[in-house]
Amino acid sequence: MKINRYTTVAAAALLLSAGVAQASDTKAALVPGGPHPYFAAWEGAAAAAAEDFDVEAEYEVPPAWELSQQNEMIESLVAQGYNAFLVFPGDASGTNATLGELKDFGIPSATLAGCTEAPTPALFCLGTDVYNSAYLGTQELIKAMGGSGNIAHFTGFLVDPNTQLRIDAVEKAASEHDGVEVIQVIADIDAPEPADEKINAFLAAQGDNVDGIVTTAWVPAVVAATSLRNLGDKRIKMVGIDHDQVVLDAIKDGYVHGTMLQNPYGQGYIGVYAMDLVRSGCTMKDDAPWMTTAQTDRFIDSGTAFVGADEVDNYQDAMVRVTDEIMADFKETYMNCPN
Amino acid sequence: MSTTMQLLRTDWFGLLVAFLLGAIMLGVAQPSFLSTYNIYVILTAFALSVLVALSQMVIVAIGQLNLSVGAIGGLAAITFAGAMDLWNVPIPVAILIGLMVGVAGGALNGVVTHVTGLNAFVVTLATLSIFKGTNIGITEAQPFYDIPEAVKTFGNARFGFFPYLLFVSGAILVAVWVFMRRAVLGRQLLAVGGNRNAAELSGISIGRVVVAAHVLSGTLAAVAGMLAVARLQLGQPTIGDDWLIISFAAPVIGGAVLAGGHVSVGGTLLGVAIIMLINNALVLLNVNPYAVQLLLGALILAAVALSRFRDPA
Repeated sequence: MKINRYTTVAAAALLLSAGVAQASDTKAALVPGGPHPYFAAWEGAAAAAAEDFDVEAEYEVPPAWELSQQNEMIESLVAQGYNAFLVFPGDASGTNATLGELKDFGIPSATLAGCTEAPTPALFCLGTDVYNSAYLGTQELIKAMGGSGNIAHFTGFLVDPNTQLRIDAVEKAASEHDGVEVIQVIADIDAPEPADEKINAFLAAQGDNVDGIVTTAWVPAVVAATSLRNLGDKRIKMVGIDHDQVVLDAIKDGYVHGTMLQNPYGQGYIGVYAMDLVRSGCTMKDDAPWMTTAQTDRFIDSGTAFVGADEVDNYQDAMVRVTDEIMADFKETYMNCPN
Repeated sequence: MSTTMQLLRTDWFGLLVAFLLGAIMLGVAQPSFLSTYNIYVILTAFALSVLVALSQMVIVAIGQLNLSVGAIGGLAAITFAGAMDLWNVPIPVAILIGLMVGVAGGALNGVVTHVTGLNAFVVTLATLSIFKGTNIGITEAQPFYDIPEAVKTFGNARFGFFPYLLFVSGAILVAVWVFMRRAVLGRQLLAVGGNRNAAELSGISIGRVVVAAHVLSGTLAAVAGMLAVARLQLGQPTIGDDWLIISFAAPVIGGAVLAGGHVSVGGTLLGVAIIMLINNALVLLNVNPYAVQLLLGALILAAVALSRFRDPA
């Protein structure tokens, strides 16, 4: 039934668009897995890309973090004439089915910020090299701790395959230093109430025993920064992730050592650019310098950077720089284009 | 019947014993459990969760289920925060607006459930989506940050281990206990849940009771949402997303009959306390993150099973 319904809406959309792919026809949808502040930068990226590349691009958020709701939203967008999709996979395997149906109807797609499991219909995956980001962040933390001490790692949902990569990266970074130990990993706390409860319970139990905190998910970073501020604790060093205002303010005030920026804006902007090129006849190069991750062998790193107190006022500059670098030779590096 | 037997047959006594035993064992295994700060952390989480549990309990009392408790709480939370952030309204007015969101959300659930005759499970499943969609539409998944200092301070202030938030929750807990035990409407909730036909034949307006229960549920969820804003110091759009399990588990552990007609405020209180204890223990004992969900579910199931073993009827 699902396929039939899907077939109907896709066919209708294709009839509407007459199946002719031209650059000016590109109508791209950027669809996150659900509501989350991380993805908000996609909206501005879509608007900027729409203006710069003369295409239509919209950021559309499913009402909840459920694969079925994301799939229904994609179906609805197909019916509205969207003909290119940039998706954060609601499920690393499950999303492949939806992207496969899009492909069957000539609608290109790629994944942003997270990848689907290969083999996948997604043309590429553009996201943070989460392993590298967590590894570098932990190294920065260890440096701030003076090269030794106990670390706690607060991270996101275990169903997200990136979470295990982050856990491994933090362990790897810690294992490279004598006298550094990851004493506790608290996961599944990328929601405010459980993060508040568990992080504060940890600080109650281990506050005197921990020297550093590394967070690799948005909400735990915000909650941990708030907790350290509430406790007035500047002894415990912390490296967070992303650019929530609470974390940035805590860096300025000395409660947080720094944060590992990701590049959601660049993901959205470059993603729309790439989709427009694909719809204008370009194909992805097989011999491009693709990175290989646990999920895919067509990964492009959208960049990561550590931002400490010295850089926090101009934190966007680092990501603009990375985005410009990727854009400069993206077409030549990753695509075969006519002419 | 001996006093001991009478105590054993209450909803709360066995739970109290289980809680105390658990607390003692955890205190021995991890002495920091009894630190002032840890007790404060537990009581803070308790202050929020008990309102969530009561919000579901009053619906269980009438033999229905409310899946939209978290969505109402989340919507009230971001409305409360947004009113202060965007419109700079005074705190009391923002509280009033938040409460009105809870009342309106509950009223919608109650009226639709009664008028259509649809199962509340289905109705609140739909309104969950409406409330959450409204939340996301308003916030675009971005938190409201500019919360007045007074609200932030209140959310994190404490006397020793006693959080100020618990003053609010404690007062509401007592009020709901009195309401369910003494108020006519409270008894009517149980009567409708126990035997809808008999309640109707005895002159109770079923519609009025159903709507009142949902309004009360929405109001309690709204208060929980606003307390969460004070505690977290920002209006997170995801507030409430995590409430579903505790909202059902605590009343059921506390002896509530899902078919309606019997709930226990004291039992629900202890149900929340036991879940808080389990959550705290999983952190303090440094349980492998991959085992946390499994253990949490298993321990909640064990608590529910024990409460049923006590009273197999």
